[in-house]
Amino acid sequence: MAQSTSSNMADIYRFLAQSLRYPDSSWLQAEYFSALDAFLVGLGWDAEAASIRRSISESADWLEPLQVEHTRLFVNAVPAVIAPPYGSVYLSDDGMLYGPSAEKTKLFYHEQGFDLVGEADIPDHLTFELEFLALLVEEGKSDEEEFFLAHHFRPWFPKFKARVVCETRHHFYRVIVNLIDFFTREEM
Amino acid sequence: MALNLTRRKFLQTASLAAATAAMSGCFADRAKAGTPFVKKPFAAPGSFADTKTVTGGICEMCFWRCQLVGKVRDGRLVKLEGNPKSIDNGVSICARGNAGVKLLYDPDRLKFPMKNVGKRGAPEWKRISWDEALDECATRLKGVIDKYGPQGIAIFPHGCSATYPMNFFENVVGTPNNSEASFFQCRGIRDTAYVATLGVPPGENVDMANAKAIFLLGGHFGENVHVSHLKRYLKGLENGAKLIVVDPRFSASVSKADIWVRIKPGTDTAFLLAIMNYLIKEGKYDKKYVAEHGKGFGEFAKGISHSSLKWAAKTCDVPEKQIKQVADTLAANAPNVSIHPGRHVSWNGNDFQRERALACLTGLLGTIGVKGGFVPGKGPKVGKVGWPKLMSEHAEQFALHTMAKLYKFSPPGTPTDLIRNTAVTGKPYAIKGYVGWGQNPIQTIPDQALTIKMLEQMDFVMVCDVMPTDITMYADILLPELSYLERYDGYIHKGTQWNFADPQQQFIAPRLPLVSPIATDHERKDSIWIINELAKRMGYGEHIKVKSAEEMVEKILAGVNLSIGQLVKEEGIHLQPGADPYGKALDVEFYSAELAEAGYSAIPTYVPVPEPPKGFARLVYGRSPVHTFNRTQNNAWLHNEMPNNPVWLNDESAKKMGLKEGDTIELVNQDGVKSRTSSVVKVTPGIRKDTIYMAHGYGTMNKAMTVASGKGIDDQSLITRLAVDPETGAHGMRNNFVKFIKNGKVLSIPA
Repeated sequence: MAQSTSSNMADIYRFLAQSLRYPDSSWLQAEYFSALDAFLVGLGWDAEAASIRRSISESADWLEPLQVEHTRLFVNAVPAVIAPPYGSVYLSDDGMLYGPSAEKTKLFYHEQGFDLVGEADIPDHLTFELEFLALLVEEGKSDEEEFFLAHHFRPWFPKFKARVVCETRHHFYRVIVNLIDFFTREEM
Repeated sequence: MALNLTRRKFLQTASLAAATAAMSGCFADRAKAGTPFVKKPFAAPGSFADTKTVTGGICEMCFWRCQLVGKVRDGRLVKLEGNPKSIDNGVSICARGNAGVKLLYDPDRLKFPMKNVGKRGAPEWKRISWDEALDECATRLKGVIDKYGPQGIAIFPHGCSATYPMNFFENVVGTPNNSEASFFQCRGIRDTAYVATLGVPPGENVDMANAKAIFLLGGHFGENVHVSHLKRYLKGLENGAKLIVVDPRFSASVSKADIWVRIKPGTDTAFLLAIMNYLIKEGKYDKKYVAEHGKGFGEFAKGISHSSLKWAAKTCDVPEKQIKQVADTLAANAPNVSIHPGRHVSWNGNDFQRERALACLTGLLGTIGVKGGFVPGKGPKVGKVGWPKLMSEHAEQFALHTMAKLYKFSPPGTPTDLIRNTAVTGKPYAIKGYVGWGQNPIQTIPDQALTIKMLEQMDFVMVCDVMPTDITMYADILLPELSYLERYDGYIHKGTQWNFADPQQQFIAPRLPLVSPIATDHERKDSIWIINELAKRMGYGEHIKVKSAEEMVEKILAGVNLSIGQLVKEEGIHLQPGADPYGKALDVEFYSAELAEAGYSAIPTYVPVPEPPKGFARLVYGRSPVHTFNRTQNNAWLHNEMPNNPVWLNDESAKKMGLKEGDTIELVNQDGVKSRTSSVVKVTPGIRKDTIYMAHGYGTMNKAMTVASGKGIDDQSLITRLAVDPETGAHGMRNNFVKFIKNGKVLSIPA
């Protein structure tokens, strides 16, 4: 049971990381949505499942609105990008990208025997942190997983999540950040 | 019930298998692409966490190009410093240079190509792939060329990386409509005026370090910071040079001056003519130099003979005896006098004549090729590579100023005013494609409403930049460029040691990346890659001479038997013995037959400029040491040093107007145009009553610049009355007048 829980948790982290990647047809297909739907239903999040079903089936061209929303939330926007998906933007006094907390995150990757592929990758990008959690789970490092969540992920994710939940114009991203929150929040 | 289910509990439920079974199928493509991580054994860092010093950086926080090293820790740039091997800036860099780190890691930076699926000016961005972006740019630019001809495209470039795109559009595509504002609206007038007078563009090549007197017309060094330039200036002062500063404002340079000429703005040419007339009449000029190298001196002397000290005193609103004192100080220290040519000289629409007067004064004092004088350094040569000039003739044929028989001393490119008017009117031809590269014409060119009108009538607008500046809001396709810290450039910085009194040396310093551009969370590219890809798609692929920025640097260096590998070994800077810069005389066209033939005044002439209407004062702008135009305004570190641009107001005027230091105010100009934003008043005796001053580069209208947005006033938004210099076609930007607004009430400025 423990092992299957672990590998499934790794799948979930990866699935969530994937869900925040730029929406394009290389991965955002019926297969993805049915997996998400099954997952939400399995979780008992029926209303959320229905809201995504509606927003995807409402319009023939559902992809472009998702792309525009992803760009507005996470890349560039006028008047301002809503929620840069980088930890130190929320953790440093001057909202700096690649701030001191990001360096610490990178050091933690190193300590666990990993490095980022891209030399200029910003270490505390949300998808990197989720992918890294998957790696920790796969290596059976549950203490490190919890440490990473407590010291690197949770200090900023709720602030990011609040911005997305408050500002997004698309159910999809509201559901995804709530899902991430559900799987990363501190256990009571 | 669902919300009470914790993560662990969920993972233990029976529904788990069903819910997650489908997930792995979604990762098929991901498995191919791989994860963003690789395994790497951990090696504990040392006490400095393995900070490496990377050499070969060339700063581009402004255009001075100081040589840098980067302190890089685990792939992150943590600090920038001057390259200790530099014989130019040395180990020193300015506040802006230091803050380059913040540009590199600015969360507002452009990251991916984007398509505007909203409207120009009110964009909704959609991230797209480079292929999609380039295909669309190529198709739509080609569409403009096919329908309207190559001249239907206008390019607005700025900076090192814009040279390659600029030359592509001029030489290969064949459009003459190039508005390089940083050149055209800044120093272009100076360069053409000096070429017409001394035969060479002057740069800032005055040997201030070894001068006995330094003469600045509006130069406000200290507020205007370029490291090796300041070193020359400060060394000169340290050695006891007399400093004369002509400025309506108590600038940083005035604070160090021996003589402050508190001149009425716009009258500088009259001041210069009176000095020259006095020196000639008193026989206090360099008779030998003028006899040997002067051309048309008799006509010149006669032509300016009306310019008495009394006339100038009245015109310029300065005491007669002070003009005499300035002239005598210059004569007493000649020929070791630095007559500074200035840099941003597009002031009042009579600027070519003022620059001609400065060049003539330089000749009259014989201060050319001598210690302390006008001395171009003897820099090294490098190789050359670039686009072939296939369409230059076509471009020339459609050059608007040639067609209109105007602006015969226009700097290279086409006067911005003509490009914009042509685009808006469609006469004499249509301009329907806009290519912007690192330039923000919204804040560099007066009359923003007209610029926006120009953009709105375009069939296609493409912009490439590092930051989301104002102009990016008008793009149909917006491309993200690598910053100067992450790229090679087809630009090689070269020059000499800053102080000519030191042993003569030359340096060659190509820009090498200090940090890697390779990342999976953004997709920025350099201009050579972008333009090559565009050229291929537009059908010009056969003319490409270099495949990459790196290859371009290699080819330029190969011209002098150097290579990138060699430069890395030499810590980013190649040094070689230099040559004595002194001793070269230049002919001086006091009377220019060329100008006469073109229908302009052949001797420097003072043309009066419009006076402030009653209740208004002239708006004058300048530099802040922590900003370079609008490029740096969103930089949080620099912003913190000077978060807005206080508006300088004379203390007596302020008292009468009921304004106090620090009051929040807005401005309104003579055409009723109000500033979009507010700033604060700086009350000071250090400014004339007829003049209002503020630093340029504030008050961006693009809210995507989250640090800078709404902070300070955008002076350019108040410059709506155009003054076009008749010789060059460049805009004078100091012929606009403002009143204050406090709490909604308009306050007139007493005379």
